[in-house]
Amino acid sequence: MIWFLRRIGTAILLIWVVASIVFLAIRLVPGDPAELLLSQGGVAPDPATVAELREQLGLDRPLPVQYVERFRLMAQGDLGRSLQDNAPIAGEIARRLPRTLELILAAALFAVVVGIPTGVLAANRPGGWLDRWALLQSSVGLAVPVFVIGTVLVLVFAQTLRWVPAGGYVPLARDPGRHLLLLAMPSLAIGIGLAATVFRMTRASMLDVTQRDFVRTARAKGVGPRRILVRHVLRNALMPVVTVLALHMGTLLGGTVLVEYVFNYPGLSGLLVEAVNARDYPAVEGVVLVISVLFVLLNLLVDLIYAALDPRVRHA
Amino acid sequence: MGSHGTIMSALDLRAHSGTPHRSALSRRAVIAAGAALPFLARPTRAATTPGRLVFGLSSYPPSLAPWANTGTAAATARLMFHRGLLGYAEDGSVRGELAESWERAADGAWVFKLRDAFFHNGKKVTAEDVAWCIEQIAAEKSTAYLRAQLQDIAKVEIPDAKTIRLHTKDPSVTLPLNFASFYAPIIAKDSFKDSPHGIGAGPFMLTGEERGVALDFTAFDKFYRPGLPKLKTLRLIAYADENLRVAALQAGDVDLIEYVPWQSMTAIEADANLAMQSTPGPFMYLTFNGRVKPFDDPRVRRAVAHAVKREDVIKAAFFGRGTPIGGLPIAAGTPFYDARFADTLAYDPGKAKALLAEAGVGSGFTCKLLSTAQYGMHKDTAAVVQQHLAAVGIGVELVLPDWPTRVTLGNRGQFELAVMGSSADSNDPDGLTPFIASNVTASYVRSTGISTPDIDRLLAMGRTEFEPAKRRVIYDQLQQMCNEQVPIVALCFRAQAYAMAKRVQGFKNLPGALTFYSGTTIEQTST
Repeated sequence: MIWFLRRIGTAILLIWVVASIVFLAIRLVPGDPAELLLSQGGVAPDPATVAELREQLGLDRPLPVQYVERFRLMAQGDLGRSLQDNAPIAGEIARRLPRTLELILAAALFAVVVGIPTGVLAANRPGGWLDRWALLQSSVGLAVPVFVIGTVLVLVFAQTLRWVPAGGYVPLARDPGRHLLLLAMPSLAIGIGLAATVFRMTRASMLDVTQRDFVRTARAKGVGPRRILVRHVLRNALMPVVTVLALHMGTLLGGTVLVEYVFNYPGLSGLLVEAVNARDYPAVEGVVLVISVLFVLLNLLVDLIYAALDPRVRHA
Repeated sequence: MGSHGTIMSALDLRAHSGTPHRSALSRRAVIAAGAALPFLARPTRAATTPGRLVFGLSSYPPSLAPWANTGTAAATARLMFHRGLLGYAEDGSVRGELAESWERAADGAWVFKLRDAFFHNGKKVTAEDVAWCIEQIAAEKSTAYLRAQLQDIAKVEIPDAKTIRLHTKDPSVTLPLNFASFYAPIIAKDSFKDSPHGIGAGPFMLTGEERGVALDFTAFDKFYRPGLPKLKTLRLIAYADENLRVAALQAGDVDLIEYVPWQSMTAIEADANLAMQSTPGPFMYLTFNGRVKPFDDPRVRRAVAHAVKREDVIKAAFFGRGTPIGGLPIAAGTPFYDARFADTLAYDPGKAKALLAEAGVGSGFTCKLLSTAQYGMHKDTAAVVQQHLAAVGIGVELVLPDWPTRVTLGNRGQFELAVMGSSADSNDPDGLTPFIASNVTASYVRSTGISTPDIDRLLAMGRTEFEPAKRRVIYDQLQQMCNEQVPIVALCFRAQAYAMAKRVQGFKNLPGALTFYSGTTIEQTST
């Protein structure tokens, strides 16, 4: 229990440090939000107009005052409003976060469904045709950048075959079929690289575990091959796979920007990049804060899965 | 190896333990599902609904505040649901919108007569609404783009509900251009309490906003032009990736797109199902910091102008889709274009070297060229300029930060030479004021530290001269003066194009600097 509370305390401290760094960093880089908003389209704004907008947005106040006010609001759960159109940041994140989570989960599902069975089969006959073919494919999957995969998918399936829309987003409630269709290509674009990672991790881990003494012992005891595979080899081999997959998923929370851009998918990463480009300080801070919290939660979740997969963790 | 064999056996065993019938059915199901996918999940084509148009914008408007400049995508969106007193016709001439006529009275006041028009809340458009809007735009705390211009209005009179008289501090021939601007829409008095964007009188009503994704509109049945708009519904979708925007048009997801990327223009022209309309509107240019030697010397600025081969910029940055500029960016075919001044600063490296020698820097010098890596056209232009300046002995180091940093450095005057791209406010030469005036505050869109009082004087004269012939003489002098003083080096007009499905009828790309007003013609567009 103490260990758990200590972890929670560390997590809160970590989140505060991250939020403070982001608060300072985004204000230290050149670019003024008021100036940028009024300079859209290569237009020169009147400096008096910029000064007026800065005052309206509270950007003319001293930095420590802004810091205290910002963190006071965040502590109350208020992420503030966008400097661009005064829209509540929390509402925008609440709209976009599920889209990105859905995208990541769909990609992870694809990666697990493709990567783990292929990894198991490849590890079963190292050097066999399937192993060599899968290794080659995974090398390609890891080497080709996600935006290239995305662009090729658009070219083939949207522009040439016209099977799917080129990109965009439709809420699930409005049109479930089109929603899934629009989700398919971006999740595939992310999923291909992720599947390659999962495949390689599964394969390597399987090869390692099958050489372990307890597997040999189990076989000597006459345990059935299916039971050895599922209960002994796969279960132990999956632990590093789960770790890597979870870490990748955490990274993807803020890292799906290229795919979101290529497929015009309005997710959280796109919001973060737009906010940075516009120097929309509250939006940047809000998104980073949410990503930090989720990352910490994801790590806790990994620990729980570890405990489920390996009872020694529970008893440690 | 033994263990591997055991696992494989287990898998084989599982495969064979299922019934053959089930296995075959599963395979058939998978094959059938794959084959049926394109038919089952065929996306809805954009224009399969008559009277509906889907328009692919280059970005989602950061704000729809009525009077602030928040980019061209926002301006296009605003033209759907807001209109001003005046606007622009297809040929680029000023036409009446909420005002059916306008003239300058004998006492020097500008008089606007309103037509019978309604706001989207059903209320009539009155002179009082117009006066309130002018007051809001010109207010001390206003963030409107035209605040300074409308602060020149000394007095507003409302003789009756359909007439408004505006007295300016100085005579102003360009006042109607301010009211034709998409930065001066007329909204219902005090309507911010009903909508953050105000309630306008445009051809469409804003019915839905998916922040960052799309805007939805429906036709306004009380629009002041009978029979318009032709469309029933309109959706503006933001496609920030230019290639995806084109792909969406080709795939039939959208009917019309703006900002056609130059690399895709040839393919679009070759596509039998698509049409493209292009105009040489926005332009690329170089700005100087006159506080940094030797750019304080007009001969050096002229040398820079002569050193850059415009055609190479057009090839590298715009795939050949542009028009070289050898003087001020005044497009051929517009009223104030004069061929005598159009090529004065054209590419001539010999002349550039001679001018540098004359200025005492014949042995060359080095400088930093500010541009941005964020936009390809800015980066590519900078690379070509670097090469050509090197050829006349000017060593150039490229500075390529992100766009926000580039804007800030420009506004602070922290640059030596810079690449910029923009569009004039109108096709009138007065629209070039933000780029060539020197008696104004520093801005990233113009040079800094260069005083050109003669240019400022001519610009002021042009704004107050009502006699067309005399105005023409003033702008001839202005062009001559700019070719001598070189406040900026105009490089090329870039082709600004809209592309659309052939079934889209009535849309027009407005000429020159007015290209971003083309959204006006959506009211007459049909599918």
